[in-house]
Amino acid sequence: MSTATAPIPAEPPPFSPGRIARAIAAFSGLPGQIIKLAFLAATNGLAVWAAYVLADRKHWVALPILIAATAAIDIVYLAPRKWTLPLKFLVPGTIFLLAFQIVPIVYTIEVAFSNYSTGHVIGKADAIKAIQVNSLQPPANGRQFEIAPARDASGKLVLILHDDASGAVYVGTNKALTPLAKADVTISKDTGQPTAAKGYTLIKGAELFAMDAQLKAFNIPTRGGSAIQTQGVSQAVELQPTLRYDKAKDQFVRISDGVVFKDNGQGSFVSSVNPKDELEPGWKTYTGLHNFGKLANNPLYRTPFLKVFVWTFAFATLTVLLSFAIGLFVAIALNKKGLRFQRLYRSVLVVPWAMPGFLSLLIWAGLLNDSFGVVNNKILSHFGFTVPWLFDANWAKVSVILVSVWLTTPYFFLVSLGALQSIPEELTEAARVDGGGAWGIFRRVTLPLLLIAVGPLLIASFAFNFNNFNNIYLLTGGGPYTGSSSIAGSTDILISYTYKLAIATGKGQDYGLASAVAIIIFFIVATISGTAFFRSKALENVN
Amino acid sequence: MSTAEQAELTAVAGARAIGARRRRRPHIRDTWWRHAVAIIGILVALFPVAYTLSSAFNRDNTLQGASLVPTHVTLHNFGNLLHNNVYLNGGGKTDAPYLSWIVNSMIIAGATAFLATLLGAFAAYAFSRFRFKGRRFGLMALLLIQMFPQFGAIAAIYLLVLNIGNIFGPLGLNSLLAVIVVYLGGAMGVQAWLMKGFFDTIPHELDESARVDGATPAQIFWGVILPLAAPVLVVVALISFVFTLNDYVIASALLQTNNHFTLAVGMKGFIGDQYGQLWGPFAAGSLMAMIPVTALFFFLQRWIVSGLTAGSVKG
Repeated sequence: MSTATAPIPAEPPPFSPGRIARAIAAFSGLPGQIIKLAFLAATNGLAVWAAYVLADRKHWVALPILIAATAAIDIVYLAPRKWTLPLKFLVPGTIFLLAFQIVPIVYTIEVAFSNYSTGHVIGKADAIKAIQVNSLQPPANGRQFEIAPARDASGKLVLILHDDASGAVYVGTNKALTPLAKADVTISKDTGQPTAAKGYTLIKGAELFAMDAQLKAFNIPTRGGSAIQTQGVSQAVELQPTLRYDKAKDQFVRISDGVVFKDNGQGSFVSSVNPKDELEPGWKTYTGLHNFGKLANNPLYRTPFLKVFVWTFAFATLTVLLSFAIGLFVAIALNKKGLRFQRLYRSVLVVPWAMPGFLSLLIWAGLLNDSFGVVNNKILSHFGFTVPWLFDANWAKVSVILVSVWLTTPYFFLVSLGALQSIPEELTEAARVDGGGAWGIFRRVTLPLLLIAVGPLLIASFAFNFNNFNNIYLLTGGGPYTGSSSIAGSTDILISYTYKLAIATGKGQDYGLASAVAIIIFFIVATISGTAFFRSKALENVN
Repeated sequence: MSTAEQAELTAVAGARAIGARRRRRPHIRDTWWRHAVAIIGILVALFPVAYTLSSAFNRDNTLQGASLVPTHVTLHNFGNLLHNNVYLNGGGKTDAPYLSWIVNSMIIAGATAFLATLLGAFAAYAFSRFRFKGRRFGLMALLLIQMFPQFGAIAAIYLLVLNIGNIFGPLGLNSLLAVIVVYLGGAMGVQAWLMKGFFDTIPHELDESARVDGATPAQIFWGVILPLAAPVLVVVALISFVFTLNDYVIASALLQTNNHFTLAVGMKGFIGDQYGQLWGPFAAGSLMAMIPVTALFFFLQRWIVSGLTAGSVKG
């Protein structure tokens, strides 16, 4: 990425700066002061509100950061010191840079070393609770109850329960099960249902049926980790846990056969007999280099990753080289003094580059559509054949490159044309006098000079296309898919693969793995851009 | 002079030279192949545009029926789309709030372009006019950070916004504001560098004379630098606008309901797997969005080429 001084042509701008100048100047002075203070007041107001919400929700890490940041902003803008002057201009952009560029990068690094994914979202304590609830099962000869939902004196929901077998009656809350005196409860002779209870008001009719969801969530804990759960509005069964959590050893034991489930260090309790047998859900934990190891060693991930990796390089390289070659060729064709229609040609040829790219891509996806697309339907069918442009793995790759070249060529055409016209004619003329052929002159004189100018742009374009999400996703969606088990399609590049891992997949979301791939992308792009950057000596311009 | 600078200068020089160097016309015998290359190039360049144009006005709105010359010219594709009144062949209606998408895109891209340019100009001014501790480090750090594409951290951005949303609803998922502030994370990037370079070329004598007249640094920024830099500001804003408009990753990750989508996310979802049926209204919608953006690009082409060669934002 070459960033240096911006040469803006010293031609008259397409609009008069006079009016803009006056409008902007009107903001300096007193109105400017007022606007500044208004912004500062709004920022502080927002911060106070945010602090209140954060304190209310007990975010004790975020709160001090917020307070410190707000105080720093106030000091910078209100304390007139010499050292705060540059900060006044740097703070606004830096806030956004920190919040939405630096923090995501740091967060990406953190997540890459964790197992954060579907099924590994909550903390360990929550996961243990969830596993215990999930393990509740009706035992073979467990107690069954006829129930009647009721309200106690304070209006709280309780259940009046009648044990069919023993005839005992209870009142159950979501805290405990308490026996009641048989005399206090009336039981229907036909159904065994409690019909009245002293001190409680039974819920009946429409209200009862509206409580379906509430009753489903109503659990009465009983001894030994068992629980009574409602089944509809008139019955309940006692469920027993099938797993027992051993706090001292930090492991679950399956009660039926005594199989032990141990913490595997990857955020799951795993059976000591069959390591594939995991208890759901797992929890979020740091797993070190596990995600990177998965990409390197586990064939399930390594194979698609390597395919995507190689294709990403092929896609970016071919797009840039073909675009440059074609753009340069057209530029050479048009680089002729006094050529008729030269300006018209130039203007029309850059249309693909001037159009909004996402629309071009969606339009191309339509044109290349197998069954309806005009390329097959109106053009190739005349010659008696059609091509599965987007449905065959290899043709889809060809399509992606063709469309990317269509999009990128005008850029290199413009740049090459400009560069060609800046090469002094005397040079090529001298080479011709020395007896050089046209091809020789091009290869020995024109091309090397051209590459000095265009070289950094080729590398920048490579870095851009390396992460050209749109060109893949809007054209093929990364597809077509050849294997059924893989998230990666045959035209997915690293960045679209990351996107699918993190967000758009039917197979759950694996933030950890997505972040690991993102970090690999970071390193590749940084290496490429960094090399180009140091070569271009842009550093010398940091003055 | 860096090679990047040379590249930019040559591109600009070339753009100017085309107009200047027109003397004796060469004969068609020597130049026919040049015309042939240009015409083939134009046919390839305009092919999708021509089909889109014709399909937009064609009465048959299926892709099979698409042809270079419309069979029956009609405006009903435009009308149906604008009134969110697009029906599928087998009956049933698609929900395509095209106008909402346009408005959302304008709000997001407009606000991002304006604010990013302003924030970038602030930073550029500080780096260009002040000498302070950590300045060189700051400039280097900015360059290095920009090497990481923001959407590479898409999983982290998604989780970040999700968590912010749990605390502050207005900045959570499915909010235009959240998308804007995420885009603003890149405001200090390449564009700020571009502007810093331009600010460096504005003579310091101007600041000095304003200072002698009693202007504060803020007044110099607003009253002297910004007006002089107006052309470059417009170009930077336009590049930022087009770039934001084209973004699919961040917008699709953060926006969730149809009427909150941007044009890119909305149109992708609209045409989705319905290429056979919805081609006509899709073409009409593309055309309406395409024309103003392309026209703007042509209007400012010369300035954009120089800006893009410096930042290589598109291409």
